[in-house]
Amino acid sequence: MPTHVAIVGGGLAGFVAYATLRHGGLEPEEIAVFGTDRDPVGAWRPRAEAIRQRAMRSESDGHCLPTSFPGLAVREALRRRTALPLLLSAVDRYHPSVTDFLDHVAELRERSGWDSSFRAAQVARVHAVEGGFSLEDYGTFRHVLLAPGHPGLAFPSELEEDPRAVHAYEPHEYADRVAVIGAGMAAATEWLNALAAGASVVSVRRRDPLRRPLNLPRPMFSKRGLALFHATAPEERAEQLRRFSAPSYPAGRSWDEPVEDAARRGRFRVAAELNGAEQVICATGFRRGFQHDPLLARLVADHGLESRDRWIVLAPDSTVPALTDSTRTLSLAGVPGQWAYPAADTLVGMKYAAHGFLRKVIACPTP
Amino acid sequence: MSYTLRGRIETRLVAALAPLLAAAGLSAALAEWWPVELAALMIGVGVCLDVVAYHRLLPYQPTWLAVPLGLLELGVVMGLVFALGIRAPLGAAIAFFALSWALAQALVLAGLPLVRLSYAEDGGELGRPGQAATALSLAVVAFAGGIAWATRPPTVHLSAGVHRGPIVIDQEETLLGDPGAVVVGGIIVRADGVTVRNLTVRGGENGITVDDADRVLLDHVSVSDSLLDGIHVRRASVTVRDCRISRLRSPYAQGIDISFAIDHPPSMVEGCTIAGGQEGIVSHSANAMIRDNRVARTSLRAITMTEMSMGMVDDNDVRDARGIGIYCGDHSMCEIERNLVTGVQPDRASQGGVSDGFGIVSHYYAEAKLAYNHAPRIRAFSYGTIEHARG
Repeated sequence: MPTHVAIVGGGLAGFVAYATLRHGGLEPEEIAVFGTDRDPVGAWRPRAEAIRQRAMRSESDGHCLPTSFPGLAVREALRRRTALPLLLSAVDRYHPSVTDFLDHVAELRERSGWDSSFRAAQVARVHAVEGGFSLEDYGTFRHVLLAPGHPGLAFPSELEEDPRAVHAYEPHEYADRVAVIGAGMAAATEWLNALAAGASVVSVRRRDPLRRPLNLPRPMFSKRGLALFHATAPEERAEQLRRFSAPSYPAGRSWDEPVEDAARRGRFRVAAELNGAEQVICATGFRRGFQHDPLLARLVADHGLESRDRWIVLAPDSTVPALTDSTRTLSLAGVPGQWAYPAADTLVGMKYAAHGFLRKVIACPTP
Repeated sequence: MSYTLRGRIETRLVAALAPLLAAAGLSAALAEWWPVELAALMIGVGVCLDVVAYHRLLPYQPTWLAVPLGLLELGVVMGLVFALGIRAPLGAAIAFFALSWALAQALVLAGLPLVRLSYAEDGGELGRPGQAATALSLAVVAFAGGIAWATRPPTVHLSAGVHRGPIVIDQEETLLGDPGAVVVGGIIVRADGVTVRNLTVRGGENGITVDDADRVLLDHVSVSDSLLDGIHVRRASVTVRDCRISRLRSPYAQGIDISFAIDHPPSMVEGCTIAGGQEGIVSHSANAMIRDNRVARTSLRAITMTEMSMGMVDDNDVRDARGIGIYCGDHSMCEIERNLVTGVQPDRASQGGVSDGFGIVSHYYAEAKLAYNHAPRIRAFSYGTIEHARG
């Protein structure tokens, strides 16, 4: 069978797309996955380990399977023979453990044939050709999904040479006096980690974080919220995406009580600027914008693709309109897909792009 | 899940398809329309709530909310079943609703997400298969409704004025009296599913006779001057609602006599006013519910359940009866609650026996359970028992 479908990027977004294509009937030999690490969580796992993450922010449907059912709550309920995960899921309080999530990825990797489709290669350039896309020396493919992941860690420029500074997603321990820059999920996790390690913590932030269970309001994960989002004018849409990227973490006693207790004891305070901490942990996430990703930046430049601010303009199904027609498909998954799906960097968002990609592949089979 | 309005409606109609088809099958098997009527009502209530309330109030619907919303819909549906007079047995209707709800939950949580990859992200919309299933659901409702319309029992109007009887009804139909319509000589019902409504009946051997028929409704009928019983029911099941019975000509006549129907569905007598007669309302070997009636000036007993009858006597107003107000006799099992019995006079022929002016009597191996009655002289005779459950 000819290989006519390529996934560029071997991380979670590529993995979700692969599982979806397999569910849609494609055989492993029909799909080529290009990446630098065979392990789909090769990039994600060290970050989770660095911030000592134990539970996922996502809920039962935060998995890599193409269908939302059965979710991780059902699987855990069956494995542990208890209805508790299902009850927690019914009230939106279920969050799978990181261990369970990693086990699930490993099991799906084994079962899906991922490794037989994987090709260890860094694709630096994707170029549209007649009836498909050329991936440098690796061949031409009719349907290509780009899932390059985040374009590197974001570091405050003034701290780049500061020996006290470490990014939250890099391995680190905790000094006695720690400043944590940021106000999102990673920052909140680091407050608790540092406090648990006996440190005094200064939360350095310019604004108070939003408290919400998921990255975005729940209607934004479905057509209900997306229909309005897709209908907005480009400038307004970019503004919405900027608002959506404001840091947030879930509400709940498990987050608040340790911080409040430490604040009463003088071990936690909020400050607007750094001031003499032994260690500075930058929970500042990732660099933002396609311009920071060489592959995407070159793609836009080569083909004159429409972009707005830091986003490539996409169709609602996450395809690149100028390079997608009845004979070929170019889709973006993961964080570059935010123009189509604001929560594109979540597992549910990765599935959204994958579903759209599968529809295109099925609609345009190999002649 | 965050449904779109279209997603809510498509999901609901797809989930309703199997119950609707089951209801159609059930209707065919039972030769009753209530399953289809109930299923259609469930769909109608659900879609109305989707459009009017759920879509506006619930931008996101957590899984647990399906339970209170299901109970809300059950309440509305059952209220409408009662208000519209749909003849659905309560237990069966609730069971049908519960099974349909459970099936819908299984579909929403598991079935539809499995067969349609983008079910959640599409807000419950189902694309072309959803449109097809929606069309099929609507087609089934329309088809069943068409059959119901085409096969509905005919309605016969009796115009104002006097009509000579006896009128014999031997097929399913509705006999509807216009204001001022009077039948002289009685009505005889010998078919299932007959409704007699808004009629005055004078004379006849019995005012209205129901013989060997089920699902008969006598609604707002007024009976007088019959030779024997006002309403005479044998081997049949009736609902008598808001009737008036008076001026019975025989001293041995009964107002309403429901007998020998233990193997038929329960009968109901509700909201009737009966004056005179030997017994106002009596059941022999029948299942009956006698509720919210006014019975006065009877010569033997006002309300009687006897000869292995079973049923309830509740919220009745009995006045000025001779002999006994409420009687449960001969191996019958009666639940007698919240009745008001006043002015009972002794039957002088009784000579101090069972008819010596008692409010409530349990007689000859009958079992009477009493609660919240206001009645003088409550007594058990000849191995009859009385249990004061409450009050």
